[in-house]
Amino acid sequence: MNMSAAVTAPVAIRVHDLHKSFGPVEVLKGVSLEAREGEVISILGSSGSGKSTLLRCINMLEVPNSGTIEVAGEAIRLKTSSDGRSRPADQKQVDRIRSELGMVFQSFNLWSHKTVLENVIEAPVHVLKRPRVEAVEEAEALLAKVGIADKRNHYPSHLSGGQQQRAAIARALAMRPKAMLFDEPTSALDPELVGEVLRVMRGLAEEGRTMLVVTHEMGFARDVSSRVVFVHKGTIEEEGPPQEVFTRSKSERFRQFIKS
Amino acid sequence: MTEPGFLDIISFGADGWGAALAAGAWMTILIAIAGFAIGGLIGTFGAWAKISGGPVVRGCAEAYTTILRGIPDLLVIYLFYFGGSAVVTAVGQLFGAEGFVSLPGFIAGALAVGITSGAQQTEVYRGAFRAVHPGELEAATACGMGRLLKFRRITAPLTLRYALPGLGNVWQVVLKESALVSVTGVVELLRQAQIGAGSTSRPFDFFFIAAMIYLAISTVSGLILQVTERRFSRGVRRG
Repeated sequence: MNMSAAVTAPVAIRVHDLHKSFGPVEVLKGVSLEAREGEVISILGSSGSGKSTLLRCINMLEVPNSGTIEVAGEAIRLKTSSDGRSRPADQKQVDRIRSELGMVFQSFNLWSHKTVLENVIEAPVHVLKRPRVEAVEEAEALLAKVGIADKRNHYPSHLSGGQQQRAAIARALAMRPKAMLFDEPTSALDPELVGEVLRVMRGLAEEGRTMLVVTHEMGFARDVSSRVVFVHKGTIEEEGPPQEVFTRSKSERFRQFIKS
Repeated sequence: MTEPGFLDIISFGADGWGAALAAGAWMTILIAIAGFAIGGLIGTFGAWAKISGGPVVRGCAEAYTTILRGIPDLLVIYLFYFGGSAVVTAVGQLFGAEGFVSLPGFIAGALAVGITSGAQQTEVYRGAFRAVHPGELEAATACGMGRLLKFRRITAPLTLRYALPGLGNVWQVVLKESALVSVTGVVELLRQAQIGAGSTSRPFDFFFIAAMIYLAISTVSGLILQVTERRFSRGVRRG
């Protein structure tokens, strides 16, 4: 995408000073991040760095202890409940914002009792209340786009991992999301199936979709993303356009990380 | 009254016991269905309490399943029948009624059967829920499904898939337990067979026929269960 557009485009997701602890372990120690519309941000880091937690906080699969999250300019309201834990103040708001963010999981998480097509139309019909006929039409177009139109009536268990992940991407796209969140989308795949999923993601990036991608795929981070964020021990250690950070990073840790 | 032959017992004619036995069988089915349904409702809440309740709620559910599984079912029915009747009598006296008012046997029986099968169903649902892949539930949350929608569209069908074999066992138990309800005076299949046995000299014939009817009911319900299981296992890869 055009770099100057990235500076002027409206902010799709803004995260400010996010803290998250699991019991005594502080996983995120004040993370701030901004994704403008059309940006593709690769979030890198070793396991346990907090990168997945950061992504999962954006749609409240994890509730942060403190900090703010804004989606399309709307801040998610949090409150502190009587036991001192942070909770969403308005569950309806959280549900609505979740429906505006497409999430793709490492383990696909397709609903195993529904066919591929049923998986894709489920949330558009039942959450967004779109007419079924219209949802089916759109779902078929999306399945064609990710290259599994012929699998529409198959159950997920009869698909390869790569096909399942592409179906999961179609399911997320069917919500017409404002941004897509990918949580290590290729980490559970056999090496020969990684390419087909990355190709689909590359296509989405070229369409100008806003994407936050937690990944270990250095090639994708380098070639497709507009910005790379390196998370280390709960803070952002390095951040910048890939051509900058991959060639002349100031962070010794990041240089070590990409070498390994 | 002339002594009936075996065919007279099953005949639906004026002297036959067919109609009476059929009515008894129907009552047995009604008690079993009512008890099973009440148990299903209790089991759903019980499982929910055990899975996601706070310490107090969990403790209550734990106490409920421990107690109900530790008391003979017949005793539970007596407790409900006489306990319920005592309550009804007390309420009746408030409104000026005199003497002992008994809780209808069907209601007491269905409640008692429901509450014992509820304890079993709690455990069945809890175990089944544990078998559901948590990622599938998380995917429902992530696309913005509210609690009820998620339960109805995703959690319940996935849990039922793993619960059905266990529920089949619970149903068989409920069906047999319904015979105990005869102690409250409800004329279900076993009670009707006893009546027939007592008023003729062919007790074995009556009890044999009752046994065959119980067997027929459980066979048919077994078939229904098989079809249901197949339906809910769609998408499960058999290997």
